[in-house]
Amino acid sequence: MKAVRNIRLCTKDCLCLYVCPTGATDTDNGQIDAARCLDACRACVDACPSGAISLVPANYPPQQPTDESVKKPLQALSRSAARQEQAARAMAEGEPGPEGKRLAAALLASTRVTAEDLSREAGYLLPQSAEARAFIRELLESAQPAGFPREAAERLLELL
Amino acid sequence: MGIYICTVCGYDYDPAVGDPAAGVAPGTAFEDLPEDWVCPVCGADKSMFRAQGNEGAKPAAPAGEPAARQAGAAADALVLAARCSNLARGCAKQYREEEAGLLTRLAAYFTAQAQPEGDADSLITLLKEDLDAGYPRAFEAARAAGDRGALRALTWGEKVARMRQGLLSRYQGQGAAAFEGAKLFVCEACGFIFAGDLPPDICPVCKVPRFKFNEVTRGASA
Repeated sequence: MKAVRNIRLCTKDCLCLYVCPTGATDTDNGQIDAARCLDACRACVDACPSGAISLVPANYPPQQPTDESVKKPLQALSRSAARQEQAARAMAEGEPGPEGKRLAAALLASTRVTAEDLSREAGYLLPQSAEARAFIRELLESAQPAGFPREAAERLLELL
Repeated sequence: MGIYICTVCGYDYDPAVGDPAAGVAPGTAFEDLPEDWVCPVCGADKSMFRAQGNEGAKPAAPAGEPAARQAGAAADALVLAARCSNLARGCAKQYREEEAGLLTRLAAYFTAQAQPEGDADSLITLLKEDLDAGYPRAFEAARAAGDRGALRALTWGEKVARMRQGLLSRYQGQGAAAFEGAKLFVCEACGFIFAGDLPPDICPVCKVPRFKFNEVTRGASA
């Protein structure tokens, strides 16, 4: 369990600096230095008056399984959302004026949020899950066109 | 004259009260509201309102299964793009910046694999298919399996799809004038689109605070 700071909530009371036994909370980028943070120490979490610091676990429980009967219609909606993204992008290029292009950009952003949510509920909630790792491994094992960033996928498997 | 409820945010239009701020006098029936009248809370248009007591009414599902469609390689790539960008968000929430960056790269790679295809008409057809058949079917499956997470995602997704359909219809009807002078904001948690000066304090669909809305200022970059 490592401490992380939500910089939006931080009110700069700086008590985390006083209580940290290793100086991990005192950085110039707003974040807590994970390399120095002591596992589950939580001194800064308890001291922070604005609730800006929380503990993030290194290991998570397995994901709740999604039933195949639910995955299927969710995946069908995902494919539809993908086609909607294509259409919104075509609109962004093809609509004559800036107003149509701006609406297309909003529709595209909105559609991607829905697509991400559907993906989450269809079995890809947690990046460290067995499901997500299996997905990245499959990408590496199946034939990918030139330009596929293999090294990014390989590094992800090391990190997750 | 009955009360009508906004299916997006729950606002109720009471004819006895009208909507004076929008120039609608008390005593105006919902049916008599101008066609370009929108929900004063969330901006949803008239088509997203249902008579009180009939809020759950959905358009009847078309008979039979919709013709099976070949998703196509481009759409497949975008499914993978959304899977990667979703996992990237999951990493960012855990402050795992390196992983988030790598997954964002994968998402950009898959997005670039897909060529744009379609137009406003095909988009509205896809939305209609989802609302008529895709969502009802998924709701039924999620209810049968007692999957509350999926029901939550479907509730948000359906409302936001209805919203997209309404905005697109408005644009098709009025052209560039539809949103002239209005800013467009997208909720980063649920995708709700707000057209107006300032989004509501909390998102009418998913209830996150206003700072989760991002303004869309210009054309899309894929």
